[in-house]
Amino acid sequence: MSKQRVHIARRVPRHIGAHVLIYTLAALTVIPFIWMVMTSFKPLGEIFRVPPTWFPEDFTFDNYTRAFTAAPFGRFYFNSLFVAAAVTVGQLITCSLAAYAFARMRFKGRDLIFYIFLGTMMVPIHVTMIPGFMILHWLGWIDTYAALIVPGLASAFGTFLLRQFFMTIPVELEEAAFIDGCTRWGVLWRIILPLAKPALATLAIFTFMAVFNDFIWPLIVLNSEDMYTVQLGLAIFRDRYSTEWGNLMAGSVVATLPILLVFFFAQKYFIKGITLSGLKG
Amino acid sequence: MRGRRFTLLLLAAAFLSMSCGSGPADDGRVRITFWHSFVQSTIPALEELIDRFETEHPGIRIDAQYIPTGDALVQKLVTSVQSKTAPDLSWIHSNYLEGLVTADAVYEMSHFIDGPNGLDSADLAAIHPALIEYASWRGTMYSMPMEATNLGIVYNKDHFREVGLDPDAFPADWDALLEATRKLTRDLNGDGVRDRVGFMPAIVPADGPQGPYMMWQWTPFLWQAGGYLINEEQTEVLFDSEAGVAALTLWKNLYDLQQLGGFSNDFMVAFASGQASATLDGPWNLPRYPDLLRGMDWGIAKLPAGPAKRATVVAGEYLAIFKQSQNPDSAWAFVKWMIDPDIQAFWSMKSGYLPVRSDVLEIDWYQQFLDENPGHKAFVDQMEFAQAQRPMDFNTLRIQRELTVAIEQATVGGMDPATVLREAARKGNELLRSADRSFETMN
Amino acid sequence: MTRRENQESRLKKRRSNWPSALLFLSPTFVIFGVFIAFPIVFSFYLSFHEWNMFSGERDFVGAHNYAAMLADPEFWHVFKTTAIYTIGTVPLNMLIALWVAFILNKKIVGKKFLRAAFFTPVIVSSVAAAVIWRWVFDPNLGLLNFALESIGIPSVNWISNATAAMFALIIVGVWKTFGINMILFSAGLSGIPEHYYEAAEIDGAGGWDKFYNITLPLLSPTTLFILVLSIIGSFQVFDLVFVLTFGGPLGSTKVLVFYLYEHAFKFFNMGYASAVAYALFAVLFVLTLLQIRFFRGQAYEVA
Repeated sequence: MSKQRVHIARRVPRHIGAHVLIYTLAALTVIPFIWMVMTSFKPLGEIFRVPPTWFPEDFTFDNYTRAFTAAPFGRFYFNSLFVAAAVTVGQLITCSLAAYAFARMRFKGRDLIFYIFLGTMMVPIHVTMIPGFMILHWLGWIDTYAALIVPGLASAFGTFLLRQFFMTIPVELEEAAFIDGCTRWGVLWRIILPLAKPALATLAIFTFMAVFNDFIWPLIVLNSEDMYTVQLGLAIFRDRYSTEWGNLMAGSVVATLPILLVFFFAQKYFIKGITLSGLKG
Repeated sequence: MRGRRFTLLLLAAAFLSMSCGSGPADDGRVRITFWHSFVQSTIPALEELIDRFETEHPGIRIDAQYIPTGDALVQKLVTSVQSKTAPDLSWIHSNYLEGLVTADAVYEMSHFIDGPNGLDSADLAAIHPALIEYASWRGTMYSMPMEATNLGIVYNKDHFREVGLDPDAFPADWDALLEATRKLTRDLNGDGVRDRVGFMPAIVPADGPQGPYMMWQWTPFLWQAGGYLINEEQTEVLFDSEAGVAALTLWKNLYDLQQLGGFSNDFMVAFASGQASATLDGPWNLPRYPDLLRGMDWGIAKLPAGPAKRATVVAGEYLAIFKQSQNPDSAWAFVKWMIDPDIQAFWSMKSGYLPVRSDVLEIDWYQQFLDENPGHKAFVDQMEFAQAQRPMDFNTLRIQRELTVAIEQATVGGMDPATVLREAARKGNELLRSADRSFETMN
Repeated sequence: MTRRENQESRLKKRRSNWPSALLFLSPTFVIFGVFIAFPIVFSFYLSFHEWNMFSGERDFVGAHNYAAMLADPEFWHVFKTTAIYTIGTVPLNMLIALWVAFILNKKIVGKKFLRAAFFTPVIVSSVAAAVIWRWVFDPNLGLLNFALESIGIPSVNWISNATAAMFALIIVGVWKTFGINMILFSAGLSGIPEHYYEAAEIDGAGGWDKFYNITLPLLSPTTLFILVLSIIGSFQVFDLVFVLTFGGPLGSTKVLVFYLYEHAFKFFNMGYASAVAYALFAVLFVLTLLQIRFFRGQAYEVA
């Protein structure tokens, strides 16, 4: 704990070279995004000017107002956030349970099942989405939130991720709990999950991102515009022949910024570290 | 614990909201689901169009449903036909007819045309024959054109003036086009790199979403040289003819002058930013120009004449009625209303698309609109020499792909046009021979 | 005795069997069986059929799809392209991600901002990213050539040069995904108990010694996870190609899943596409086993 505090405390930077390098890399990484933001405030004519302008000379909100009148983006946003949140919460539960079983329990065929599980990640979605769609149709779930949420509640990725982290947790801690009369559920809930917070937070942000940015699955299982997600909505700014550059940029900024803010403020959860009380004690 | 309660809440909300989505119209009107991929700039026009229809047909409600364009529409159609959730009415492209018809998914148009709320033969005859060809598969109409487009050229008149070319006379034949392109392609700042290209055909990656568009743009040049894509019996491709080689050589020469192509699909970016003096273009972009090309003196020109003739290619969007529809007759009511001359004129003015029938030009207020909008007029005038691609009925998409690859190889790849076309034709003919023609004998 | 066996032997007395494991596994198993396992088995069945997807009829064709695939020179071309992309992205991606995570684990000013900066590309949708990057690479308008020229390097035609296009794809591929691996490495690094380092310091270990003898071995479960996932991800790369290079120019960036997609949704041959999917599966399966084997030989067991 104290170690972490020291990190946060203001100090004269020791690693000058590392600072220079990492800030340069960070700048290179965000330049395209900054350009996207800048472009979203430029009128159409200025977007294509040669040489390109960096800051908008004729600052305008037109791209935003037009993007938002083109489609009910508020609704799309709600759909995306709701679905992404539901899948994320659901996956944290199902994956924790399954990962714990794979990491800590012994049963016949465990490793084989785990490898089969892993193997499913190797089949691209494009061949499985048609049969998947047929099942949803059979269940009567086409064009519902359930069609977007339920299939996402099992994840080989999430299970694999959590299993790898659970396995790094020293088994001594559990031993102690068992001796104190804890059940397996108790161990998972009181020992493993608190220690695995960084992993859970990591899985949460990845799942949320993946669901939020998914295009092809919402596309095939949704029919009515009321149910559309942000990514489907953004497609309206592009067709085969032309792109509404300004509007697409504005829409993308609006789709990206809130997630970026959430990430910014939530990062402490997976950065705080696993070096929690129990281990050092 | 708080987390768990939150989850339950979310799941409950998810299942409660499952009921929303499809359901009967609560106002007693027949509800027609209409899938389309109109872009953002056309949506307001579409809304006006549907309002007008619903006012004139109080018993029908059109639920226009936007589907992201191109491949997404195909994916939706495939999955919906499979699961019996197809819309009543949808935009389709002639390319998908082979699949839709063999799966018995769409009605023949004659089912309605000859029905109680039928269509006069005069109405049918007024529709541009090229569009009827596109709307059909194996000679039977399975869809109805909703609007027409064709291919012209948008050019920058100031650039023409700068190099001493007449800004009001775009080159009228291939030689003049090459000559003008040579003049217009320039290194403005003298650093040895071309900053401006004269004329850009759309050279794009063959397998990308714009591949078919590239072939569509190349076809009129093939016709201008007197060639065809395929023979009438649908047994042999003809694009490797002398005409084909001539047309591809023209594109190769144009490409070599500027060396632009590859993965950029933003030809409009190049034109709008003044890096290109002219590019191939269709009327669908016209509504965007006042904004996009602000401050530019631009014009629309017809495609040039080749060694054989003048030609451009038409296309359009087509409406098909699905057999899974509960109310096919109401869907037809919309289709029939859509091709009425007044509605066509109204739609053309609002959307920028061209009317599907020539008698629309006899409407005074439409003529007046054209006089005030020379860009539109140029495209409408071109309809006189517009042709349809003779449809390929079997393995269309694969054969088209081989041709598209050849176009990219000859230009970007610098290969010999005759050689690549011969290879593409060999593969195309193989695909024709191996095609499943059982449908023909079935009927 | 390795550490893991040691752990497990201690747990043996509480060894649970199937019924208890099933309680933990059942939520995943049910969803997984219905929405993942069945579609995968069904697509395996499809790989022996010809099916145009519109109709209900599926003709059994035996191994024809597999034979046709192996006989298609384009299949081998896209296979090679995919391998080049994987070799180009995975090591670069992991090195950058590990370096960034490692530096961010030190005393660096403005960590929060840096981390958010590195994660931004992950959040931007592929479509928007592709539009921006096409501008960056534009031979005349582009930022990249603008930057190159300003430091005296002649501009490159990123657009119609096959080698440059693959290079561009790799750059964007790394840009778009290294933030994910950075987070994973960060989580992995923060999971290494501090007392290991303290013990090493007492033994007089230097920075590099600590990294090599403590960080790397203890990070190996994370590293294996990232490696396996990165290879699967890059072998399945599709979105980026689909929106950035369209497989061109001249097929130089046409990758396996792009080819699969083309057969499924352009040529409507789901049977053939399924066969391609299983070829991909086979390759990934072997690669994954090899990775696990390799890591099993390491000091700290992970799988």
